[in-house]
Amino acid sequence: MSDLNTATAPNVQNTDPVVTGNAPLPPTGKPPGPWKIVWQKFSRNPFAMTGLVVLLIFIFVAVFAKFIAPFDPAKIDLMTANLKPGVDGHWLGTDELGRDIFSRLVHSSQVSLLIGFSVAIIAVFLGSILGAISGYFGGWIDTVLMRLIDVMISLPSLFINILVMAIFGTKLLYLILILALTSWTGVARLVRGQFLQLREMQYVEAARATGVSHSGIIFRHLLRNASFPIIVNATLMVGGAILSESGLSYLGLGIQMPATSWGLMLSNSQEFMLTNPMQAVYPGLCILIVVLAVNFIGDGIRDALDPRQKNTRRRLAKWRKNFSKSGI
Amino acid sequence: MTEYLIRRLLQSILVIFLVSIAAFGLMHAAPGGPTQMMISPGLSPETAAVQKHNLGLDKPVPTQYVIWLKNMLKGDMGNTFKNNTPVGDLIWPAVKNTLALMSFSWVISLLIAIPWGIYNSTREYGISDQSANFITYLGFAMPAFWFGIILQEFFSIKMDWLPLSDMYSMEKHGDLGNLFMHLILPSTVLILVNLAGYVKYSRSSMLEVLEQDYIRTARAKGVPERKVIFRHALRNALIPIITVIGMDLASLVAGATLTEKVFNWPGMGRLFVDMALAREYTVLMAITMITAVAVVLGNLIADILYKLVDPRVQLGRKGGKA
Repeated sequence: MSDLNTATAPNVQNTDPVVTGNAPLPPTGKPPGPWKIVWQKFSRNPFAMTGLVVLLIFIFVAVFAKFIAPFDPAKIDLMTANLKPGVDGHWLGTDELGRDIFSRLVHSSQVSLLIGFSVAIIAVFLGSILGAISGYFGGWIDTVLMRLIDVMISLPSLFINILVMAIFGTKLLYLILILALTSWTGVARLVRGQFLQLREMQYVEAARATGVSHSGIIFRHLLRNASFPIIVNATLMVGGAILSESGLSYLGLGIQMPATSWGLMLSNSQEFMLTNPMQAVYPGLCILIVVLAVNFIGDGIRDALDPRQKNTRRRLAKWRKNFSKSGI
Repeated sequence: MTEYLIRRLLQSILVIFLVSIAAFGLMHAAPGGPTQMMISPGLSPETAAVQKHNLGLDKPVPTQYVIWLKNMLKGDMGNTFKNNTPVGDLIWPAVKNTLALMSFSWVISLLIAIPWGIYNSTREYGISDQSANFITYLGFAMPAFWFGIILQEFFSIKMDWLPLSDMYSMEKHGDLGNLFMHLILPSTVLILVNLAGYVKYSRSSMLEVLEQDYIRTARAKGVPERKVIFRHALRNALIPIITVIGMDLASLVAGATLTEKVFNWPGMGRLFVDMALAREYTVLMAITMITAVAVVLGNLIADILYKLVDPRVQLGRKGGKA
């Protein structure tokens, strides 16, 4: 593994007489790529790594939900309604219709993760393309797109989601599409801003001079350079989409029975607060944990990309504190 | 400044106009649309046609839009389909109730958040800062309505300290003490959500200022730290905070849909969901427009405040700080 530390390794090829013995030598081998550096910093961040592990566990549970869930999540059996946790193999008990709560939680993770990731992917795709076009070409395209975004953000996105789901009906596809359509604006603005900066760079000019096409410049040169902030934004969007889904399902405008989702389970639980208060706790905890994990990952990536390292800041803060205490 | 104001105002009107077209188009694009909603299912085709004509639904959609827009500008928001009550009778009380809830929680969260954020910026990574960080993560990752449900379960059902939901208890309408008791739980939820954003924001805004050269100069020439923070840094740090506050002004009118729904608060958010489920298009259009106007106005106010507090900002110039 070529680490950054290889810089201190003895280098046979270095015979330059000007460089004195103690000076750091140029690294041998291939220098680590940007992705590798980011991963190195990311993997040293305990929060980000915890988030990653937790998310992987949830993905595993969602993929193998069928095998993990001990019962059919939609099976209604009034004879076994409102069982206490642990009775008859129902680890977390059953709800008012006799459905196994644990199995429903497991199956709900599928919906949440599916919506979270597909919304983020669609929104990032849409946002980067539109933002790229807007930032690269400018002119009237830019004006039209920016006015479109103005219109979209002059209504709270939850309002638009409620409106569309109520009018067009509650289908999973509509849910994903409308969540994506109300969340691409952030990415578009971000990419546009990046492009406004990047398009003035000399390498873009050089590419243009050598006859690279517009799409070549946009996709091969500019979008690649803007990819890190886009990734951070996308990660945070996954959490946002999961939260929006739970909210809409809670209002009865998202996932419908017999399918299950954490938000739907919550709306159900509020009616049965008196009989089974714990029923409301589990789904919310699941949402909290998943979104927290995703946000930790997003922040981890952002910190890894930030040249101003957090540790340096922390040391600086400590030093400043000691300094002011010393009373000089 | 005047020129900028006029241009900005025209821009806002254009955005509101576009929103109205989009919203109207969206509702009429729906399968069945308002027509299906307004015509009772049992009617014979002839009677249905007459009813359609009376309601003006047989005209082409653009004509309907113009009629609707004219009425709207006159302040007539139409009637509901079901009971034929004027939309205004539903909306204005809801606006009042939302305003009560939102402004109460908003003012409290600002009073907590800004001093807290400033304090944290002077003691980076201290205990207070870390706990604010914790709250921020929680506030961003937690479904707020779930927090509301948990609060209800503990404080209303288990402990029976606070009322479960609604705005007033039975037969206690207009009683301020009673209203306050009902306000506590929903505003706790809203305050937590607001805090998450505001503390983080005021901290980072303050930190950014504290790194400036003029702060170092002030410290170097021996200005007491207290004075550096309040006199030199705070004034400049408040500028971006004011912008964010201005942008959130709209939520005072638009309400918090999920929180209102959990606590059965008779505000705009709950009205919107209920009307969406009942497909009352006239009410939906009215709420949409009121919200859009509020958001656009809030942004306008934020921009103007920005200009007023920061003389450096040259508004209206392309690529400027605004």
